[in-house]
Amino acid sequence: MPVTTENLPQLYRFCFLMTGDVAKAQSAFQDTVREATIQSEAEEPPDRLWYFRNARWRCVSVGEQDLQAEAGIFDEVEISPEAPDQIGQLTPEQLAVWISAAPEPQRSALALFYLDEFTLAELLSVLEMKAGELSELICSGRRQFQSWLDSTTAYYGGKTHDAGQV
Amino acid sequence: MPDKSELLLGCAPITEKPGMDRVMRVAINRVRQGKGAATFGRQQAFDAAIAKVVRDIPVDEQLAEWFAHEKMIPVVRRGWKKFVRNPVVIAMAIALLVIGGVIAYRVHEHLHDFPSADKARRLLTVAASNRSVLLDPLQTDAGALSDLYFMKHRLEHYDVPAEFAEFKTLGTRVFDDDEVRRVAQIWIKEKRMQFFLFPAEVDKDGKINDFSDWRFVEQEGWTGVLTQRNGVCFMAAMRGGDKDLTGYLAKKKE
Repeated sequence: MPVTTENLPQLYRFCFLMTGDVAKAQSAFQDTVREATIQSEAEEPPDRLWYFRNARWRCVSVGEQDLQAEAGIFDEVEISPEAPDQIGQLTPEQLAVWISAAPEPQRSALALFYLDEFTLAELLSVLEMKAGELSELICSGRRQFQSWLDSTTAYYGGKTHDAGQV
Repeated sequence: MPDKSELLLGCAPITEKPGMDRVMRVAINRVRQGKGAATFGRQQAFDAAIAKVVRDIPVDEQLAEWFAHEKMIPVVRRGWKKFVRNPVVIAMAIALLVIGGVIAYRVHEHLHDFPSADKARRLLTVAASNRSVLLDPLQTDAGALSDLYFMKHRLEHYDVPAEFAEFKTLGTRVFDDDEVRRVAQIWIKEKRMQFFLFPAEVDKDGKINDFSDWRFVEQEGWTGVLTQRNGVCFMAAMRGGDKDLTGYLAKKKE
């Protein structure tokens, strides 16, 4: 499937979720599109997945210069029935900060999954992993995010949730 | 350890779009009807809420303008060469060629058809499947059988034309066919040739139009040459092509 200017915003959102920073997201986005333009002139235009693969590695590369999160350092709790309300209080920036702080490849998996853009096969192709691995990353990401929500939504003014630790 | 469907549900799509993987669809339907429905519902609501925040990520004004006006990404125009090399196109082209070939063959086959052609083709199938043991042994000239057909079977004008009258017979029989009706079949010594005499077919106007020339029909590697006189068709049939039979017709003209 070719990329059109209609689905480029999703590419930018992906870059933003991956970096958690507007300037870095713009930079990764523009570099990706520029390389695609050069490649289109030289050979065949790249397909949609190429853009996200390329942007992923650019964002990972940008992130490597910052402090790195370690896998398994976050608490995990089961998803709460109040979670949608808690999430509703978040700003996109807060969400991006949390996702961009996740370790690789969980960060890429969460960013791509929550774009709600790809089929499972496409996700696995871009992430170069198996379904079981992706599922583990997403599931643990949900529990960690719930734990983070429980500890932060009170601070941001929402209702608190007494979730059991896993 | 979670099974495959549980693993899949962990990354179930937030929005169920058409073209979803069948295994995933089955897993989702199963969990919705089972004990895990509430848990899965919470997961879906959780994912939908996050996806909504993601959709709300503002796109920088400068970039948004870029999407709207700049044609950074060339629209992929598939060249005709690429289109032609597409396996689906190739498969469809081959299928159309085959269908076209069959239609052309059928049209060509029936182009010079005459009212009794279908009956003749049916009898060529009979000729291809028969053995001489089915016939009553009778060794004589083919032309001499007219009297036999008239006297024994009351078949008038079942005459073998002069071109084939001198051929020596091995046997003959008269039988009823559902479509062709009363048929006289003669087995000839020469080249396992067979003769058929049968009632002519009426044309579209309900008339029987005899023809004195020779007309060819083909069926499953057999060829027949026909003429029609007094409302009765005569067909000489043999395995092979037109040329084999044309030789006999030419000999008689000389």
